[in-house]
Amino acid sequence: MRVKVKPLECTGCALCELACGYHWDEAFSLISSSIMLYRAEEKKDYMGVIVKTEEDLFLGKPEGPEAVKLGELQQRGAGSGGGASAKPILIREACDLCESAGLEPQCVAICPQNALYLE
Amino acid sequence: MDAMYYGDVLLVDLSTGKTEQVPFDEADEAGPGLAAGLALYEKYSGDDPLVFGSGLFTGTPVPGACLGFVLGKSPLTGEAAVSPLSMYAGAEMKLSGFSAVVVRGSSAKPVYLWLHDGVADVLDASGLKGMDTWQTTDAIRKEMGESLIQVISIGPAGEATRDLAAYSINYWGSGDSSALGSVMGAKNLKAVALRGLGMLDAEEPGEFYEKALELMSAAPAERGFKAVCSGLGGDDVDAWLEPLVHRYRSCFACPTACSTFVKYNEAPDVMSPDGVEEPGMLVISAAAAFWLWQGGWGAEAAGRAMESMAREGIDLVRGARELSASPLSDPGEIASAVGGLEGTMEAGWPAGEQVSYDAFGPWVPPLAASEKWLAANRAGYVLGVCPALLLAGGVDVDSLLGLCGPAAGVELDASGIESLFT
Repeated sequence: MRVKVKPLECTGCALCELACGYHWDEAFSLISSSIMLYRAEEKKDYMGVIVKTEEDLFLGKPEGPEAVKLGELQQRGAGSGGGASAKPILIREACDLCESAGLEPQCVAICPQNALYLE
Repeated sequence: MDAMYYGDVLLVDLSTGKTEQVPFDEADEAGPGLAAGLALYEKYSGDDPLVFGSGLFTGTPVPGACLGFVLGKSPLTGEAAVSPLSMYAGAEMKLSGFSAVVVRGSSAKPVYLWLHDGVADVLDASGLKGMDTWQTTDAIRKEMGESLIQVISIGPAGEATRDLAAYSINYWGSGDSSALGSVMGAKNLKAVALRGLGMLDAEEPGEFYEKALELMSAAPAERGFKAVCSGLGGDDVDAWLEPLVHRYRSCFACPTACSTFVKYNEAPDVMSPDGVEEPGMLVISAAAAFWLWQGGWGAEAAGRAMESMAREGIDLVRGARELSASPLSDPGEIASAVGGLEGTMEAGWPAGEQVSYDAFGPWVPPLAASEKWLAANRAGYVLGVCPALLLAGGVDVDSLLGLCGPAAGVELDASGIESLFT
């Protein structure tokens, strides 16, 4: 079971990041979540969602989702699945599906556009 | 108040280039959000201040909690006026490490303010002089090596202190209908760049989070302008834009995605990042779109006109009102027409009715009756929640006020918000 992304449903509100950050820190920030938007190419409106797990990164790219082994993302350039703006997620906690808090995944629960789901 | 705010007040003296930090407590005693901003504005009123700040819930998972503000003396009215920091700019302001920023005086040379992690730098912007807002955003992000920086900048219109000038948030313009972009130009303040890596605590975090989640679950997840335009002429503007729609976009923490990215320099369904560098425009202003639609503009030409206005740093709404009477289609002619705009105060919603103007900008009674409009704006700017979402009924103020206690240990009701402004 993992959190997956329907990237074209995402509208970029970042609530998933806030909810996940709250899960880890009981505070609100954009620096500690296991899920993050990549929105570095703003002029192109190229935006997706990355979820970090213990094994890989799920890249919810608008042209199609893809799972990438940890470390591989660093080799990629901007625009090819997160690029430089996605690197901070590599040093963050991996998604635990909020099991440590005994809750359903909070990113899925809060997403107003139903862009996230469990599979 | 420790909860919900992060850091001191930053005082910036542009005449000397020096910065100073003072405790937020004194301003905060006046009330959260815009109430604190108004206290700071009054305190430093002799220095023609521009105050940048955010609301109580800005940056948290409360529905629509994207809102920050810029407060200054509008050249249009000579009175204090407020313009919004929407999209990600309000949240980045909140998390930048400063609870509010007061920019005093004016600089002898162009400068920009770089706020990050509780550090403030006043940097030389001579190389940015004359650049449009797109170029300015690109240049600052490149200089800092960070593409997520939020850039509040002025273009040539602001540098020339034109009454039609507005600041732009990144590439897309803003809701600045009070010519605060012109005030930035008068100060030689080319831009304010923000990156917020801070963290916000709540007084009762569990209760606050759970209640915010409840409100979010009940809030409408609409797309397009129909939610904010209900009662203002139908949703025709969405159908008009539809052939060019790439994706719908939300502001930070907003369940409703009212901004619409339209592509006219490549096919709207291109989703890969390998296409053209500048494929189109994020349409953030329903009012501007309505003016151009009502005037008979084609959607592509309207997108180009809004792009051109955003680049120049011209108020989208007032500019669109002026352009609406003479539809154009040639990109060169559109750019030329935008360059020749003169400006007017008479630009609220395109309903053909008398426009009034107050501290929150232009509005049109009775579609947004004064009491309702004022109440939504006051609550929105105090709480940091988009007034358009409040006016559209996406979340009600009483429910939001119930979050004040668990958020920050403050008790506030609707009359309490009104009293903050009297």
